[in-house]
Amino acid sequence: MAKDTKILMTFPVTATSHRLEEVRARGGYQALEKALKTMTRQEVQQQISDSGLQGRGGAAFATGRKWSVIQLGDGQPHYLCANADEGEPGTFKDRWILENAPHLLIESMMIAAYALEVRHAFVYIRGEFEGPYRRLADALEEAYAAGLCGNNILGTDFSCDLVIYRGAGSYVCGEASALITSIEGKRGYPRNRPPRLTVKGLYQLPTVINNVETLSNVAWIVAHGGAAFKAVGSAKAPGTRLISISGHIARPGVYEIEVGYPWKRLIYDDCGGMQGGAKLKCVIPGGISTKVLTGEEIEKLNLDPAEVEPAGSSMGSGGMVAIAEGTCMVRLLQVMLRFYHHESCGQCTPCREGMGWLHRLIDRIVAGQGRLQDLDLMARISRLQDGNTICGMGDAAGYATLGILAKYRHEFEHWISTGRSMHEGNLECRRSS
Amino acid sequence: MPQIFIDGQPFQARREQTVLQVADEHGIFIPRLCWHKGLSIAGNCRICVVQVEGRSWVEISCNMPVSEGLRVLTDSELVREHRKATMQFITLNHPVDCGVCDKAGECTLQDYHVAYNGERSISVEPKVEATKFYALSKRITLDNERCILCTRCVRFTREVSQSHALGVKHRGDHSLIRPSGDMPLDRDAYSDNIVDLCPVGALLSTSFLYKDRVWTLKATPSVCPGCERGCSIDVWHRKPEWFVRSLDARHNRTIARVTPRDNPAVNGPWVCNKARDLAQLLERTRADTPMRKGRAVSLDDALAAARALIEQAKRPVALVSSWGSNEELQAFKDAFGARFGCFVKADHQPADGEVLQDELLIRADKNPNGRRARELFGSAPIEYPADTDLVLVWGEGCDFARLPRGVPVIFLNAFLAPENGHADVFFATSVHTERAGHFTNFEGTVSAFSACFSRPPGAVDAEQVFAALALQEVLAP
Repeated sequence: MAKDTKILMTFPVTATSHRLEEVRARGGYQALEKALKTMTRQEVQQQISDSGLQGRGGAAFATGRKWSVIQLGDGQPHYLCANADEGEPGTFKDRWILENAPHLLIESMMIAAYALEVRHAFVYIRGEFEGPYRRLADALEEAYAAGLCGNNILGTDFSCDLVIYRGAGSYVCGEASALITSIEGKRGYPRNRPPRLTVKGLYQLPTVINNVETLSNVAWIVAHGGAAFKAVGSAKAPGTRLISISGHIARPGVYEIEVGYPWKRLIYDDCGGMQGGAKLKCVIPGGISTKVLTGEEIEKLNLDPAEVEPAGSSMGSGGMVAIAEGTCMVRLLQVMLRFYHHESCGQCTPCREGMGWLHRLIDRIVAGQGRLQDLDLMARISRLQDGNTICGMGDAAGYATLGILAKYRHEFEHWISTGRSMHEGNLECRRSS
Repeated sequence: MPQIFIDGQPFQARREQTVLQVADEHGIFIPRLCWHKGLSIAGNCRICVVQVEGRSWVEISCNMPVSEGLRVLTDSELVREHRKATMQFITLNHPVDCGVCDKAGECTLQDYHVAYNGERSISVEPKVEATKFYALSKRITLDNERCILCTRCVRFTREVSQSHALGVKHRGDHSLIRPSGDMPLDRDAYSDNIVDLCPVGALLSTSFLYKDRVWTLKATPSVCPGCERGCSIDVWHRKPEWFVRSLDARHNRTIARVTPRDNPAVNGPWVCNKARDLAQLLERTRADTPMRKGRAVSLDDALAAARALIEQAKRPVALVSSWGSNEELQAFKDAFGARFGCFVKADHQPADGEVLQDELLIRADKNPNGRRARELFGSAPIEYPADTDLVLVWGEGCDFARLPRGVPVIFLNAFLAPENGHADVFFATSVHTERAGHFTNFEGTVSAFSACFSRPPGAVDAEQVFAALALQEVLAP
């Protein structure tokens, strides 16, 4: 099977390919017209349910199920938020959509807003995304001017306003409940569940929050039908995934792959292998919060949750980092833990204290003051955080730590016993010509 | 009415309750640090974890809605492990300086450490340093190192006192409780409640700071006389076994601090700052002897003189104190109600800058027992008949310049005042922390108070004076 279907990256990117006239020339906004003029809200929702679309932010929750919690005609306002706070280290796939296909997001959001009876939709875009923000803001202006957004969209009686809200640089605000708390103008603290956000979300009203990539699939599904989408990819996880790959890879960037695509082919054929022909040591599959897989482990795997999860990791957000042989895993973990410590919001105890603890522990090991029992202590802290925090960040840091400790414990032990890295100065990667 | 099972025992719950509330109602204790019944659910301390039977993970009980047939365990192996871990996390950056902490002895963290952890820290890392002695307001000192960021104080200022005076600054383990800019905590008339709310010794009353250890104090239930709300309070003063001998003996009979006593019928778990400052109100210089025209006399002489004045009088007028207890007011009614023209007097007027009234607790009438006094003596404005030939003034708040000229005055007052010496007969009385009794608040709720201290020598309970004058008997010395 070829596994080469493209859903999002269907056009050559040029300097003007994101403009409305070119988008319309290649058939943009026809799905919106189809939905508004020929389909009922229930029909749109049914198509999404049929498609089997899953969230692309990392948790892979079924979009159709999330949407079905919203009660149509309950007299309450509903809200829709696109989560464009793409903060997971190594992930930059939504950025590609925001920069190169902003109209795809706007069209999809209008369709989703129609299906969910939403009058006001939001895009929460991360503060550091200056370029993507401008692209999206320009596209939104074009859409308003063309009557594709705002009052009486495409001449129908459906109206929906889209508001772009810029974040202020917090990682935790990419968590759905922290995101809406931030939109409300409060400190970006995640909220306790229950209530679920689809019951009490933004301003205590039913709210659907979807990742940018998830929403961007909606237009294609409406245009081609849910069944066509389900035929792409694998049965349990239909569709394609945007993979943003970085690290010591020859051709880093964003690639759209069909679910089930061979991992080896992505790395060695599409991305041109490792820089300078270096050996692949390990891969972080989907953002640094997923457990690492070694170079040997991925050889036989296809990029399908049904294969990655039994291997002990997950597809996560699609932010892949390829790491070459010679990289020091101790310092890699140190960088990760510094990040988690810096980004812990400080709301709940295990994460607030545990992140700093882990960070200070690894700093001490790197400074040559480590003890062998510190490794067990790090694993213990990670395990005790797991599942005992308000949001998933405590778990995520634990997974990252446990994953690296389990597979590269000998590097830590080497550092502790000799006071220096196993890989001091050994890594030499140059971009292959 | 869903039925749930806590540790195997069945309980009837109400649909809107959480597991923690049901457990509380039935006397099963689940530890809590951030949860407080008067505040919203924050769910951040993670100490209240329970395990749903059959699940391999724990969940917080403070935010767990009840559902039919729910079965939770509050003390399973997993729960104990997680509680212990949470205690390790909480004490990771807590200085554990209990030896010099005012909260020691009544600190939730201390109690939980003994109950759920009991081990020294497994960390060898240096602790995070933070601000100490940060003045949140003139009244409250904050020790950020001790703070466990439960955010009870922040939620209190947002949800109860609504001053929005506090917030959290910075992230992670560098988070700090800080005033939120333009709304200083000084303007919050309920600010001191956050000191009680604080489960650790982070928020400290500046006036109480390093003055006492809580185990040398005892709490006597009392009623705040600051306004007609009559909030239930605890007055903290030295236990007799901890009386100081070498230092100033006044330490033994002063109010160390005042805290609210939870009373859902009156004040809930809160009181305003005026109650905290009760010492300023009650520990003004006291009158210490009965007098006749400014000359100190014995109690018998004073009583004899007063009796003579009352016997001679044909149109006596009495100004009744609205600070008297129900018992004193009744004694006054029994003794003089038939013979005197009685008017109720407001002993205290609102002070400059004092909050007059609000929607939470504070009431405009700054006297505790005005309602009962008016029930007994009517609410007519004070006026003196032309042939008034005796005025009995009970308590403060009487302008002597406005009394009819040349008419003899009997005066009962607890505090030193210039008027004391102008009265023909003067009795030094006790204050309400020196006797037991009841106040009736503006809603008709009767609250009892107990004596914290003995009367100073020379002072006498007003009730005894009235009884003595009515029965025409001489008080035993």
